[in-house]
Amino acid sequence: MQAEQLTKPNRRLSRRTLLSAVLILIVIPATILMGIYLLNDRKYYFISLLIILYTMLPFAMVFEKRKPQARELIVIAVLAAIAVAGRSAFFMLPQFKPVVAIVIIAGVSFGAEAGFLVGATAGFVSNFFFGQGPWTPWQMFSFGIIGFIAGILFQKGLLRRTKLSLCVFGGLSTLVIYGGIINLGSATIFSPSFSWQALLAVYASGFWFDLVHAIATVFFLFILSRPMLEKLDRIKVKYGLIERE
Amino acid sequence: MEIYQLQDVSFTFPLSDQAALSHIDLTITSGEFVTICGRSGCGKSTLLRQLKSILTPHGKREGTIHYAGKPIEEANQRTQAAEIGFVLQNPDNGIVTDKVWHELAFGLESLGYDSGSIRLRVAEMASFFGIQHWFHKNVAELSGGQKQLLNLASIMAMQPSVLILDEPTSQLDPIAAADFIETLRKINQELGTTIILTEHRLEEVLPVSDRLIVMDDGAIIADDTPRRSGQTLFQMKHPMLAAMPSPMQICAGVEAGASAVPVTVKEGRQWLDAFLQGIPALHRESWSQPVVNAVAGVGKRQKPVIQFKEVWFKYSKDASDTVKDLSFEVEEGQFYCIVGGNGAGKTTTLSLTGGLVQPYRGKILIDGKNIAKMSAKELFTNQLAILPQNPQHLFVKKTVEQDLYEMLSGSPLSFVEKTEKVEDAVQFLELEPLLARHPYDLSGGEQQRAALAKVLLLEPRILLLDEPTKGLDGFFKDRLAHYLKKLNAEGVTIMMVSHDIEFCAKHGEVCAMFFDGSIITEKATKAFFAGNSFYTTAANRMARHVWREGVTIEDVIALCKQSS
Amino acid sequence: MMKDSFSSFHPIINFGYFAAMLLFGMFLMHPVLQVIALLCALTYSILLNGRKAVKFNLLYMLPLFVVMAVMNPVFNHAGVTILFYLKNGNPMTLESILYGVSAACMFVTILLWFSCYNAVMTSDKFIYLFGKIMPALSLIFSMVLRFVPRYKEQIRRISLAQRSIGRDITQGNMLVRARNGLTILSIMTTWALENAIETADSMKSRGYGLPGRTSFSLYRFDSRDRLVGGALLALIAIMVIGEVSGRNAMRFFPSIKMAMTTPFSIIVFAAYLLLGMLPVIIHVVEALKWKSISSKT
Repeated sequence: MQAEQLTKPNRRLSRRTLLSAVLILIVIPATILMGIYLLNDRKYYFISLLIILYTMLPFAMVFEKRKPQARELIVIAVLAAIAVAGRSAFFMLPQFKPVVAIVIIAGVSFGAEAGFLVGATAGFVSNFFFGQGPWTPWQMFSFGIIGFIAGILFQKGLLRRTKLSLCVFGGLSTLVIYGGIINLGSATIFSPSFSWQALLAVYASGFWFDLVHAIATVFFLFILSRPMLEKLDRIKVKYGLIERE
Repeated sequence: MEIYQLQDVSFTFPLSDQAALSHIDLTITSGEFVTICGRSGCGKSTLLRQLKSILTPHGKREGTIHYAGKPIEEANQRTQAAEIGFVLQNPDNGIVTDKVWHELAFGLESLGYDSGSIRLRVAEMASFFGIQHWFHKNVAELSGGQKQLLNLASIMAMQPSVLILDEPTSQLDPIAAADFIETLRKINQELGTTIILTEHRLEEVLPVSDRLIVMDDGAIIADDTPRRSGQTLFQMKHPMLAAMPSPMQICAGVEAGASAVPVTVKEGRQWLDAFLQGIPALHRESWSQPVVNAVAGVGKRQKPVIQFKEVWFKYSKDASDTVKDLSFEVEEGQFYCIVGGNGAGKTTTLSLTGGLVQPYRGKILIDGKNIAKMSAKELFTNQLAILPQNPQHLFVKKTVEQDLYEMLSGSPLSFVEKTEKVEDAVQFLELEPLLARHPYDLSGGEQQRAALAKVLLLEPRILLLDEPTKGLDGFFKDRLAHYLKKLNAEGVTIMMVSHDIEFCAKHGEVCAMFFDGSIITEKATKAFFAGNSFYTTAANRMARHVWREGVTIEDVIALCKQSS
Repeated sequence: MMKDSFSSFHPIINFGYFAAMLLFGMFLMHPVLQVIALLCALTYSILLNGRKAVKFNLLYMLPLFVVMAVMNPVFNHAGVTILFYLKNGNPMTLESILYGVSAACMFVTILLWFSCYNAVMTSDKFIYLFGKIMPALSLIFSMVLRFVPRYKEQIRRISLAQRSIGRDITQGNMLVRARNGLTILSIMTTWALENAIETADSMKSRGYGLPGRTSFSLYRFDSRDRLVGGALLALIAIMVIGEVSGRNAMRFFPSIKMAMTTPFSIIVFAAYLLLGMLPVIIHVVEALKWKSISSKT
């Protein structure tokens, strides 16, 4: 019975998830575009600061409003901390980071909202160790949204708990979503004015890094996804952590 | 006033047909200091968790629990959070936030106090516990003892009327543990807070306890003053007697019906003096001679398998030396114990032996070969193995059985050979009933056995153990000793570092005292402890003014019997 | 070196200051203002981080500045003053070169301010500031900050334990290393999850989840904070008035056009300099005070 609850996602999206989806998928990109076109010249940094608000606010508000229980906080904190500390388990392999893989697993296992929070928290807190900078909001957003989309796709039944499905999603999302957003970010940070050429140049120069990152994510998901999901399921069953909706 | 009143309480976990607690009747009055002891799995933790409903596990409870005169279900969450303090076993797990000051305020924040009141309470607690020097620190910078003190202080800040502690000192070294118990005494004496705790190491805690409750199989078998509970155990000839402080055990072993059972070493000495009154001193001397001889004549020398030659080590270029000019030898088939205080460099020595860190001067030879020139594969295949302090660091799989096979995953053996090896290890360590369980669902002692099995699959000739008795109860310690001796008999050399003097005295062959980066003295166990005057077993401290060679409880009992 | 005095002010003052300097740094393009901002950020970063900052600035910030200044004219061909044509036929203009320099200056300034921010706004200050608005999330941050060092230590211990059974992550080929790294991560995950449940117990046991939770901090807003806060607001107000009245305006394309320098723009420049140097001024004043006190005794 419990196992069934775990593996069979609830296909109906809650109003909260919808609201967050609208905010994240429409309002934030709109702000970015609006900022780029209306605040022409060099106001891109400002946009990135706005994004942190946009990404944080709906989640923060919804999350704070429902007064999460101790165990929810703990799960998010533990997964985010694993993502941050996990980087040090691979100190000998540069560019090989497990963050995206862990965020996807969090989204699949605990839902879209938790996926986002784990990603954004990991992005934010890791910069307490590596130094905050103009890149912080971009990282928070990219990690967060990958976890969010993973959660939604899983809930909709488009993403399954199989290695293949997770690896395909992991690779694509790292390459397209993370690479896409982060490179856009550095394009706005590094090149003062917006031009397609400059953007293309940034994408081209970042491609190989993104590819390695995507391969790393696929690798991590290939080996880690099943044991990780099993571990999380065990915790859910053993301590009654089943997602309530 | 009764703070707790339990009437006929039974508790059964879901999916279990055996009751974890059966028919418990217990009354605890305000201001009492109550110690509960019993083997691992006897139900003492389950009992403690019944006393605070938010921590009570799922399961079926029968009987009634009254808190401060009312059924505990009627005490709301706020009252329970504020009035019933609960300290967990692992100091690291209890701490939630990253700053000491924030942790102290955590409970008060939950209760909704304003900043002014929190500031006052936090200041009071920091002063009472002597925390002011590390008040601003990050939690990560604290020692284990400081962390457990922080857990205690952050609960005391809420001014609870009862404090419940679940084996609070099991993860601490002896000095930190004694400090912690002393702090509990102070809380009990000066603030009048009721204290209920479970504990394996009773030497320090019994002298300050008002009551000792002994549990076995989910039931209370003794509940009285420590002295009388001890006597009850003698009369029952119960195995839990082995957990009692040494003076009590010695007294019980010598005069079965003693009226005034000693609890502390001081009382033990007085009892011994009274017991020996009238027996001529000469008579005693003559007996002790053979012990010395037996000690001096350690058999003929074997081939040395671990050799340290003037080894120096430091963790970084600018750090001070952790290991200084260390030279010693461990012979084949020996059971070699390194004892000494915290931070003396014992664990570093173990890491050096395992090649996990490299010395910057001097040589380490394993079986005559320089360790610096050996590959990890050479060193760890059929040669040397380390059982880590925390057995959990070795578990990878979902079940113990899978975990054992994982150990052989890289080897070229056939499936049949692997099965054979695993079966051997399982049989050796009696793991059959645990094979299908998740490693994390095992008790501490069982986890260690499973980890030992994993390590033994490497078929080591030398086994290194780091603090293997930490957190184990007496029963599991004896089992561990049993397996180690079996290995020893098969010719495996064992080297262990430990704080646990009693264990080393009872089972070690050679003991070495580590201090300030080097071995100060190294002797056969009996001679070693007979030569120390302070850093020695409780039995020895109690009897050494009469027999210096009486090191273990059994020694002293035998000596007493001989002289009467 | 003496501890930075500005760091000892109330977090809201610290945060407000950096927020203002970052915003102004991003918005203001007038060359005088840009140079002032760069200078102030540079001074404060050296004050905070000492020799490390000098090394960092020379090693990373200077090359970054040059690269950025050169990168812009390669991609940006707007502007009317054509200096020469590139090989691919695109024009190189004076405006885009100057624009590149200006952008590089801005970017380096922002990074410098962030390096100061990282030194001053420690995690507990941030958590305090957001603790009132977002109590649950700021608690999560605090917990993650507690867990990360703990997990790193665990990873170290687990890798030692693994090494001592012959699973070495520092040896073998890439695949073997990565696999062993994963084993370590996997062990760490189980350990972290199982132990975290006890942490959740500890939170519940101390009443987490009861309604009406408050947020405590060690910080107090005292008269010193009021004084500096007032000065901060006044200076920011001058800057805003300057911006609205067009004193700070600067245009690069199609041709360079700068707002005329009037007596009021001098006031704005002075205000910006004062604002940027505020932490340094505070530091110097406190140091002098300390000197005079210690010389008296």
